[in-house]
Amino acid sequence: MLRSLTRELRFLRRDRGALFWLALAFALSVIAVSFGIAEVREQRATIATLVEEDAADRANALSTQQDWGGAAYYAFHLTYEPPSDFAFAAVGQRDTAPWKHRIKMLALEGQIHEADTRNADFGLVGRFDFAFLTASLAPLLLILLLYDLRASERTARRHDLLVATVGSPRSLWLPRATLRVLGLAILLLIPLWVGAMIEGASPGVVLQASAIVIGALLVWWLIVELVSRIDASPSVLLTSLIGLWLALAIVVPAISKAAIEAANPVPDGGEILLLQRETVNDAWDLPKDDTMEPFVEQYPEWREDSVIDEGFEWKWYYAFQQVGDQTVAPLARQYREARLERDRDAGLVSLLSPTSFVERAFEKLARTDAMAMVAYEDRIRDFHEDLRRFHYALIFPKVEYDAARLEDLPQYDPSR
Amino acid sequence: MSMAIRIAREEWRLWLRSKVVVAAALIIAVLLAATSVLTINRIADEQVQRMEQQVAAEETFFAQPDRHPHRMVHYGHYAFRPPPPLAVFEPGVDAVTGQSIFLEGHRQNSAMFADTKAGADLGGFAALTPASLYQLLLPLLLIVLGHAMFLRERESGTLAVLLAQGSSGTKLALGKATALLSVIAIFMIPLIVVAAYSVTLGESVLAAASLVAGYFLYLCIWGAIVLAASILIRQRAISLGALVFVWLFAALIVPRVAINASSAAIDAPGKIESDLVMLAEQRKLGDGHNAADPAFEQLQAQVLEQYDVETIEELPINWRGVVATYSEAELTNLLNRFAENRMALEAGQSRLFDLFGLASPTIAIASSSRMLAGTDLATHHRFLRESENLRFDFVQALNQAHATDLDYALDMNRNNDAASAEAARINAESWQVLDEFRFQPDSAVDRLGRARLPLGILLLWLAIASSFVVWAARKVRV
Repeated sequence: MLRSLTRELRFLRRDRGALFWLALAFALSVIAVSFGIAEVREQRATIATLVEEDAADRANALSTQQDWGGAAYYAFHLTYEPPSDFAFAAVGQRDTAPWKHRIKMLALEGQIHEADTRNADFGLVGRFDFAFLTASLAPLLLILLLYDLRASERTARRHDLLVATVGSPRSLWLPRATLRVLGLAILLLIPLWVGAMIEGASPGVVLQASAIVIGALLVWWLIVELVSRIDASPSVLLTSLIGLWLALAIVVPAISKAAIEAANPVPDGGEILLLQRETVNDAWDLPKDDTMEPFVEQYPEWREDSVIDEGFEWKWYYAFQQVGDQTVAPLARQYREARLERDRDAGLVSLLSPTSFVERAFEKLARTDAMAMVAYEDRIRDFHEDLRRFHYALIFPKVEYDAARLEDLPQYDPSR
Repeated sequence: MSMAIRIAREEWRLWLRSKVVVAAALIIAVLLAATSVLTINRIADEQVQRMEQQVAAEETFFAQPDRHPHRMVHYGHYAFRPPPPLAVFEPGVDAVTGQSIFLEGHRQNSAMFADTKAGADLGGFAALTPASLYQLLLPLLLIVLGHAMFLRERESGTLAVLLAQGSSGTKLALGKATALLSVIAIFMIPLIVVAAYSVTLGESVLAAASLVAGYFLYLCIWGAIVLAASILIRQRAISLGALVFVWLFAALIVPRVAINASSAAIDAPGKIESDLVMLAEQRKLGDGHNAADPAFEQLQAQVLEQYDVETIEELPINWRGVVATYSEAELTNLLNRFAENRMALEAGQSRLFDLFGLASPTIAIASSSRMLAGTDLATHHRFLRESENLRFDFVQALNQAHATDLDYALDMNRNNDAASAEAARINAESWQVLDEFRFQPDSAVDRLGRARLPLGILLLWLAIASSFVVWAARKVRV
């Protein structure tokens, strides 16, 4: 086997077509990885600036406050999801779903759906990242490398002679194809490995990613091999293979996406906002007890302190913000569940399309998939809840205002 | 000419005999039909839904009871962007941007609930639209049909015979081009039908016709590239491989690399980032809720002098309303300055992206297609600007009512007890200040003007590709 591989390596060195595809794969991989690293670094730099400016802005806002309610009203808090150390390989949802928010003590449902995303054209066209390269382009390159192994020998009129001289056809074609698949895999992976070293991605993740790349190429190799058994001209073979690629990479995912989204409708986002706004605004005109009762149900510890005597009190104000969120909670939960449900279905259906499967697997490793985005939103919710508990403990028992205590304000921790 | 038609007819005969070609054409035709019907239905639903939501939002606003005017400023309003008629063919950025926006005092919100955020994630190309089929798949069909059209004559030896009979390479190429053109013409039919349908929905004929013309140009470019390859290359498999590479490059690689490049070249700060810079400036302006803020001293002196009184209590108007009006105007200036800056940077990124059309006709057609359909980034930016005007107008009208219709003393005592709160209200008639908002696409002429650059690039591509064909056909020898 080794001898036949070195023999094939000598042949490959003269096959300009094959060398071109292999060089192209390497160049594209270098481009994808370097753009990925540049983007991830820019996002990290943005976050670093934001963290700093956010703290300065909060300190500034708090410095002029004279009561707890005002301090809660004017202090914004940055929440963010930093890119993982493997995010350079798959930008995933980070172009279409927001990964940074500034929230405050008001009703969260009015804030959490804000989308501070990039240029809409980016999300529409998509980026050239490593996941796209391996999932969509690498199979095409593999097809172009392998489809005319036999046919090119036929064209050169060596085919029958070759088959007659070697003992079994397998020992002729197998090393030749193996070398090409192996070459493609290694040339794709080297830039990824270098990128992973620069970014400090964990070896486990890199190993899994490499296994996915190799596994995907093997699947496509099998497909090419099966189709190539058909006795047809190389151009018919190539046409059929590209047709198969189209079906698996474009048509199947598109149909599945449409079907999944039709089967799992998400509640209209406008309704969440509308209901939340109506609840919060109506509260101004309702008897104060109508707000305080549902509030106390959620936070029984403040029952004693929930009597409102004056026309305006901060605790009443924050209570109806809270009740606004409580009212839309079922809808918001539905929205979240439907997204997760769609993602679960997409995960199942992606078994039908190697392209979808590879992209999803990479997004999962890079933590840029829908699950990671929902998890980020959950962290925002948890943090907002911490904020509420912190402020309620000051606002409800009528603790005397003491700016020093604001130093204990909950801090957003992206790794929690 | 009759020679060209004879050659074209012969080409058709061969195509119809080839199972691969017939199957490919049929599959694409079915995909086109199915995607068109699905997209038309989806867009029609959204159109109706958003229009209804817009009307409902206005009705609820008008139906609000007597209130303190500032309450209505925070009650806010919604602006919806219904998809334009040509979105049935090219939905464009609408899926990514979100189509509704909440408008309230002192804030510019972003459009929320983009479809993509809640979409099932199946990787790169998952959403198929009629436009993306035309941009991606039809060139592949032309490649499958045409990669061997000319070199086949060489392979079978008929080229020598034809040339010996006095036919020239150019005449032969003309015949092959006629055959490809007839295929393109047939595959233009679904687009023409969808465009005609959009005209019945109220789209201008000029925009619909320009869109059809743009795609015709695009497919002709691919036809010319395919024909040139089949003249110049002598083996089928190599011709097909080379054309597939060109397709891979133009349709898949360049557009995405262009996105990476324009994002890396121009750094457009996000909203939060520019908000933070802005907030520091805003703090200098003072807080519009607190009329005793020192930043308003100058304004106070000026207003007192204007009305020739000593104290704000003596003013014939409500000082708190004056402050609200003043600070909303100042803040909006600031907000708009930052928003304009952000949009200008994004527009710069998209312009840079459009220039990559010189490297890929697919970028050029995709950009022209979005611009002509009115589903491009510029239209989204106009929606943001117009909804901002709507926001500013109703907020200021309410602040005006706050200044003139509500007594200052009553306003100051509003939190004393229930009766005082009751007294510090103005009549619900005042809510009629809200303007009716119906977002309309740009005029066809404006859209065409915007699409000048990418359409020009397409023309350039066609000129280069066809001269390439002519050059290749002229030097045909056996």
